[in-house]
Amino acid sequence: MATACPRCGAPAVERDKCAQCGVVASVYTAALEKMRRAPTPPPMPSTVRASTPAAPPAPARLGAPQPARPVPSGPAALATAVMTAAPAPASAVGASASRRLTFHGSGGTLFGIYVVNILLTIVTFGFYRFWGKVRVRRFLLSQAAFEDDRFAYHGTGKELLLGFVKALLFVGLPITALNTAARLSGDLKIAIASQVVTYLLVFTFIPIAMVGARRYRLSRISWRGIRFSFRGRAWAFVRIFMLASLLNVVTLTLYYPFFQARQQRFMVSNSHFGRRPFRFDGRGRDLFGPYLAALLLLVPTLGLYLFWFNARMTRYLWDHTSFETARFRSTMTGGALLAQTLVNVSMLILTLGLAWPWVLIRRTRFEFSCLGVEGPLDLAGIVQEPQLATATGDALSSLLGADVGFV
Amino acid sequence: MPGAFTGYYLDGRSAARREASVRLAASGLEIALGDGTRLWWPLREVRQTQGFYAGEQTRLERGAPFPEILLIDDSAFLGALHATAPGFGRRFHNPGWRRSRVLLTVGAALASVAIGAVLYVWGIPAAAGMLAARVPVSWEERLGQAAVEQITASKRRCVDPEREAAIGAIVKRLLEPQPRTPYTFRVTVVDDMTVNAFAVPGGQVVLLRGLVERARTPEELAGVLAHELQHVLQRHATRLLLQHASTGLLLVAISGDITGAMAYGIESARVLGTLRYSRHLETEADAEGLKMLLAADVDPQGMIAFFESMRAAERGAPSATRYLTSHPLAAERVETLKQLAASHTTGFRPLLPGRDWTDLRRVCGG
Repeated sequence: MATACPRCGAPAVERDKCAQCGVVASVYTAALEKMRRAPTPPPMPSTVRASTPAAPPAPARLGAPQPARPVPSGPAALATAVMTAAPAPASAVGASASRRLTFHGSGGTLFGIYVVNILLTIVTFGFYRFWGKVRVRRFLLSQAAFEDDRFAYHGTGKELLLGFVKALLFVGLPITALNTAARLSGDLKIAIASQVVTYLLVFTFIPIAMVGARRYRLSRISWRGIRFSFRGRAWAFVRIFMLASLLNVVTLTLYYPFFQARQQRFMVSNSHFGRRPFRFDGRGRDLFGPYLAALLLLVPTLGLYLFWFNARMTRYLWDHTSFETARFRSTMTGGALLAQTLVNVSMLILTLGLAWPWVLIRRTRFEFSCLGVEGPLDLAGIVQEPQLATATGDALSSLLGADVGFV
Repeated sequence: MPGAFTGYYLDGRSAARREASVRLAASGLEIALGDGTRLWWPLREVRQTQGFYAGEQTRLERGAPFPEILLIDDSAFLGALHATAPGFGRRFHNPGWRRSRVLLTVGAALASVAIGAVLYVWGIPAAAGMLAARVPVSWEERLGQAAVEQITASKRRCVDPEREAAIGAIVKRLLEPQPRTPYTFRVTVVDDMTVNAFAVPGGQVVLLRGLVERARTPEELAGVLAHELQHVLQRHATRLLLQHASTGLLLVAISGDITGAMAYGIESARVLGTLRYSRHLETEADAEGLKMLLAADVDPQGMIAFFESMRAAERGAPSATRYLTSHPLAAERVETLKQLAASHTTGFRPLLPGRDWTDLRRVCGG
């Protein structure tokens, strides 16, 4: 394996010393490593660690609360600062403590995956669908990275198929049977009663499906080999959901921001990475003002204000989400969201939907580009603690049309 | 060091990432961690879960359900692995195959389009025809009864035993030369001035008052009845239902995971696709209906004349709407019927001889 100079990139380094810049390769590499990984294992709680390989797209960023050496801001400048600080690596520690989530996938690759999925789905009379879904999810997650380490998806097609069969048997078929029987009976009263029962059933199953889908999907995602998990109880969310639906009607939707905050608190604070939970400290009343403004401005702006409101919501929800000592930070703006959506919709219309994979990648990349994590993070202290989950909720959520996103 | 790569090692228990140096051997990987620990991974226990695309890190896993993980950035690693351990070639992705994978994907795209087209044009209609033939008549009858009740719920049903018997006589004459059918035919006239008629599954035919009164001769009405009876005999409604359902399945297969806004696009594609089937069935009912008239020695010129009068009413509609309608254009239908009837000019027996048609057609009074 050819060794290149770690500092200037000159191809041939003889006897550990670079002919071009005179650096001693092993010493330089060791210094870089020390900087990146300080301090060395074994890990201690509350120590700050951030490790990134020296790959060009993501410069090493250090989440340390030590006194910062003044450096120019911005990723590129930061990279230069870190690189040139080699002779005295320790002093470079503690620049801006922001870690980015990045997304690498290309639309072409995803398109190829879709094409093969379509062919196999047709040939297998639809059965490959579940395996195809897994391939898409696996690809999308493997293209998402935090601190340059990719996420991984561990679901299987068999799980999804079983989940689908269960959801169909226990929810889909009974509801369909009930409705068909009521229609065939020809009695108007029975038909109306069955409609009411159906609505109530679907209404109860929507929150159950949302929780089930989240439980399943998080349990099948890992980062650095550590699984995520969701530990909320479905019935707790059914209560939140039912109450919110009722209050939404009573208050003429003014309860909506409070519901959003409660839902987010339930969904986030029951989510775990390893054995540590995420936290959400947002409050509905902070969202009430923006919601009222949206209600008033929606008609005068012909609905365009929706983008600004959605961006505001996204920012608020992320900014109040934290994990251990690190906090998420969203920079999404209404203008950017509007531009993004306009381009995506035009792409879809102009290509009659064929651009779907590219649109999905564009959208995900946009969402990731707006998201960062700030503050120190002790990753070595995070240990595995997996939870059980089946794919029934996942299937149910697609069956009821309550599906949200790919994870 | 030759054969050595640097990477990272994750133990599957904590999120700490440790630097590792990996040496390749013919049957395994020798992994040396920063703290001096050495690990031996036999290749038959190692699987690759990432690094199938250009620019992607290679990810190797060992053990389950929470595997140890090895991450290697160097794109030369997989090539070197295949060179060192050719016996395990099938376990690991070979970057050399990526070109042929692109070609295979293009092939898969072409194959999908071809299969989709074949299914749409031949597969679905054939399958729907075969399935429809196996649907029990009693199911169709129940379905048809419900449909008739729905139609007659808001409109008055015209009851006039004598005049209805005249229409019944036309139906009887048309059915006489036909082989025995499992259906019991019933014709219902509804008080609605629209010029239209429906065949519902299970042997029920609904005529709207507007159509009955527009027919100038019993032969004209016989043409419409023959067309509708053929819809029933060929089980067109059942076939259309099945075709609608399977077009939906085909589109779901093609669209995959797509949800939300795309669903609207898919629904319109489905409606457009089903309209083509519907036009096809109408053409079939026309042709078979004409044969039915000829078999019963009824003059087909009545049917042609009726459709010509419809054509006059349709004139002025832009031809582009042809693709958006469930029936073929009247002009085309008339042409086809004329061709089919061309060789039959004599030997017809009149319908309802000696009866006054202008009186008989007033089933709804007035």
